[in-house]
Amino acid sequence: MADKSNDPIAIWQTMFGEMEKGFNAFANKAMESPEFSKVVNQVGGVSASAQKQLGEVMEKYLVSMNLPSRAQMVGMAERLQGIEGQLNEIKALLHQVVRNDPNAPEGGHPSAPRPPRTRRPLSAGGDQK
Amino acid sequence: MNAAAGLDLASIPERIQSEVQRAIQRSIKGVEYFASSGPTLGSTPKDVLAVRGTMNLYHYRPVAEEIYRVPILIVMATTNRGYILDMVPGQSFIEFLLKRGYDVYMLDWAAPRPEEKSLAMEDYVLDFIPDCVRRVQQDSGETDVTIIGYCFGGVLSLLYASIFADGPMKNLICFTTPVDFREMKLFQNFSDRRYFDVDRLVDSVGNVPPEMILSSFEMLRPASRAASQVQLWENIWNDEYVKSYRMFDRWATDTLPLAGEYFRGITRDLMWDNKLYNDTMSVGGRKADISSIKVPILHAVAEHDHIVPYDAAKPLIQKIGSADKEEVMLKGGHVSLVAGANAIKRLWPKLDSWLGGKST
Repeated sequence: MADKSNDPIAIWQTMFGEMEKGFNAFANKAMESPEFSKVVNQVGGVSASAQKQLGEVMEKYLVSMNLPSRAQMVGMAERLQGIEGQLNEIKALLHQVVRNDPNAPEGGHPSAPRPPRTRRPLSAGGDQK
Repeated sequence: MNAAAGLDLASIPERIQSEVQRAIQRSIKGVEYFASSGPTLGSTPKDVLAVRGTMNLYHYRPVAEEIYRVPILIVMATTNRGYILDMVPGQSFIEFLLKRGYDVYMLDWAAPRPEEKSLAMEDYVLDFIPDCVRRVQQDSGETDVTIIGYCFGGVLSLLYASIFADGPMKNLICFTTPVDFREMKLFQNFSDRRYFDVDRLVDSVGNVPPEMILSSFEMLRPASRAASQVQLWENIWNDEYVKSYRMFDRWATDTLPLAGEYFRGITRDLMWDNKLYNDTMSVGGRKADISSIKVPILHAVAEHDHIVPYDAAKPLIQKIGSADKEEVMLKGGHVSLVAGANAIKRLWPKLDSWLGGKST
């Protein structure tokens, strides 16, 4: 069997792993400085403001083009979400009704019979306690 | 062997042959990698019990002939998808629990929509979790529920447990859950209140975009993404390595946006004022003091967690009011603690031995 300490591939892999750790540690140290926080947040703040302004311009543009704006689409989505919620409530109620019906067909979700809740942990010997 | 150089000369041709074969395999498998999709994740059979905006509640179909009385509700972190706990058969925490006879539910999160930007901490702690607990009770026919919270799902579970200390939670399990946010040093610096204007960000973008969340995670280990791609190339001949890489890479980059108000609350209350640690936290006007939690608790932390360092997670067990409390530190990182080969050997059996007797 090849000795790992002399295997050039293994040496490269170890060196690469160490380089990764070293770079991460170095970068983490740099990121702990208040200067880093200041610069990153200044850049982030500018980008967020630019995004907001772009959004406002786009909104006006869409209105002028007689297209639905984001606010209108959001309103539509809210209504859809409300309908979706109500459908889910109805579905849950139906499942409950089916489960309580003794004549309901067996098999399939969710009326399929569930296993009994009688399990106990296995003892060291493999028997249930 | 050449004693002076310590070289095994006989093995050199064998080594060269092996490397040539791997180089050929890399070319073939490299093409396959880009031409094929990754493994199917999260495929354990489940039923969707409820979908309400960002909230999804699943029930996994039991596989054991006999199950424990107390059902489990898993609360996922709001930044990531729940399939980290249900990767592929043989590497799925959910599958493990089902085979061990647990009845498993999961509260998973979908990306909040633009109109959900006003969701705040109280929506998660006082509405979504109690709603899911109620639905689990209704579906299972049991009053008691065990809650498992992963990462920030653990924080939400702690807040829920401290506000609803009288029940119905029977047991609480937290995975890598931060309590002292001062100790999340890099996140502290990214959100330094002198320079980070959370109001401007939230008011500008609504929901905090997933790219920003992903970047903040990746900045914790800035060299690791490039290094992992080099390692992928080196190991692309190895199908198991590639499968595992694809699973974890897909999950890690599948980050969710965060609802704007919720992000504002986390920044102000936890990152800036460290209210959970200082016992001053309240949600929707209700005091959330973790010393009021009395149920049995297990806290699993990872030795090499770069996202939630141990110092941030350590106070949980110290501050909690339960008499039956245990912290277990296992080898691994923030993700390998709960998924992958490490978890199969370490965390999952530990959790089963701790929880089984408390689930009857």
